[in-house]
Amino acid sequence: MIASVAATIRERVQYIETTPTIPAVFLPLLKLLSNSTEEVQVDEVVRLVSYDNSIAAQCLRVAGSPLFGMVQRPQSIKGAIISLGLRRVETILLTCCLGQAFPTKKWVLDPVVFWRHSLGCAMVCQRFSEKLAAADAEKAYMAGLLHDIGLMVNCLVFPKEFAVAMQRACQEEIPLDEAEQATMGFTHCDTGRALAEKWKLADDITEVIAYHHGLEQSQASQPLVALVHLGDLFCRMRGLGYGYYERHKVDLIADPAWAILLKEHRDLEGVDLVRFTFELDDAVDEIHALVSTVFGSTPVRT
Amino acid sequence: MTIAPPTAAASVVPTKSREALDPVYRQIRDLVYKVSGIYKAEDKLYLLADGCGRRMKHLGACTAREYWGHLSGQPGREGELRNLLNEVTIGETCLFRSPPQLDALRKVILPEIVGGKIMQVPKRLRIWSAGCSTGEESYTLAMNMLEESERLLKGWTVEILATDLNDHSVETAKAGIYGDYALRSTPDHFKRKYFSMVDEKRLRVCADVKKLITFSRLNLQDDSKMPIMKGMDLIFCCNVLIYFDGPSKSKVIEHFFRNLNFGGYFFLGTSESLMKLNDKFHLVHFPGAIAYWKPSLKSSQL
Repeated sequence: MIASVAATIRERVQYIETTPTIPAVFLPLLKLLSNSTEEVQVDEVVRLVSYDNSIAAQCLRVAGSPLFGMVQRPQSIKGAIISLGLRRVETILLTCCLGQAFPTKKWVLDPVVFWRHSLGCAMVCQRFSEKLAAADAEKAYMAGLLHDIGLMVNCLVFPKEFAVAMQRACQEEIPLDEAEQATMGFTHCDTGRALAEKWKLADDITEVIAYHHGLEQSQASQPLVALVHLGDLFCRMRGLGYGYYERHKVDLIADPAWAILLKEHRDLEGVDLVRFTFELDDAVDEIHALVSTVFGSTPVRT
Repeated sequence: MTIAPPTAAASVVPTKSREALDPVYRQIRDLVYKVSGIYKAEDKLYLLADGCGRRMKHLGACTAREYWGHLSGQPGREGELRNLLNEVTIGETCLFRSPPQLDALRKVILPEIVGGKIMQVPKRLRIWSAGCSTGEESYTLAMNMLEESERLLKGWTVEILATDLNDHSVETAKAGIYGDYALRSTPDHFKRKYFSMVDEKRLRVCADVKKLITFSRLNLQDDSKMPIMKGMDLIFCCNVLIYFDGPSKSKVIEHFFRNLNFGGYFFLGTSESLMKLNDKFHLVHFPGAIAYWKPSLKSSQL
């Protein structure tokens, strides 16, 4: 990407700061999530959430989703933390905040489709991570949830350019990042990175956002980027993509990301990918329900 | 390989909602997957429960837990598992059973195969429907190939070999007469173009479709017959492998692998898995569909 394009992206991303709907709790929460669990106090999270009743209420609704393993909806944030664990509640809160942070109408990309993909990817990354007994399944969830944040930037600050890219992707049935590169000269990875840097997201999450379509460029956090790269592909093949047909054959095991993950987690060899696929299919309805819970009624498509 | 006639499926009435299901059915689902590779999704669990119900009635078992004993502990459990598998695969066959599989075939796989054979003369596509039962899958494939005959497959000869162990099924398949239930997923466009009316409730496949297919009796375990099935580009084998024990299954899969051309594809039923029975095939994903790919010579030499 040429320097002038990068400068334009950075300049336009400043616009996002003026978006009035970002809940006050969002950025402090992101900061909390980048700390290790031992350093985070339960009361601090409860205090943070109590500033915003609507976020707290939504968090409790989401926590009641079968996807998070709860049979009954918890009655308080503290109760949810006791049942689900601090990290999981933090990621649920993040999901809710993110849902409120961006307008849900008049997007080039249908917000419902976008959130289904993002939440789907979050779930896949988390479950994959749990199967591999990887250290931080919640980090994987967060990475999956935020990986395509650049698409929101595109919708907000490059709507015309992104509309052309989206149209090309739908018409030619090609991956969205290819269409973006061909028509805009940059992708949602570049715009997402600009936002991640502005928000001072953790380095590993920033790498995921910037390199999930360019794994070879990632440095310190390759396994996490590889996980999200696979989760993204997986969702796009199982009805949680961008809402159009991609003429695409995906050989996950032959993907370089698989080899990177395998180096870190020998357990990967034992994973039954077909069964995992069927289990994801089982979760698709829950993901749709979760998107409705977080974002209310179906937004209007432009 | 034949399963129960499609009409029997009309009597499968969902009797239990998902919430009311005894958790033991999920245990049974896992056992069925382990021995057969057939996965019953959450929203189809009631069908498994129905199948178990019919077997319980036959055996005089009063509870699902008691029936679990027949499947897991008591002598004769293998026979009972086979009976249950027969029950749960009833009525799974119809024309146009898996639209995502057909999309993958026409949008991704055919262009790839055609491109790979660009220098070949004569241009010939060979498809094997192994365990074709009463012909639904074979005719679906034939109609879709005919749809491509003026585009991708212009100037190509398409041969579909459809085999089944059961003489009666082969004869029914040859007749090509289907009622509402078998035609429930067939698009109207195809009904108008490729069928003629037999009576108010039944349609007959037209001669242009039939002449693409050769139906014959074949035992997949008859090693001496396997060489005549060589040179296939695509093999479909839906809900057939469940009838074989482990070693026979591995042998049959090895035959499929050998009989496929390099770059060819092997398809199972939509909720069926090859699990770990063959590590030469590459598991590949397409939007909404899974296939097993025999890598092309070029890619296997890389």
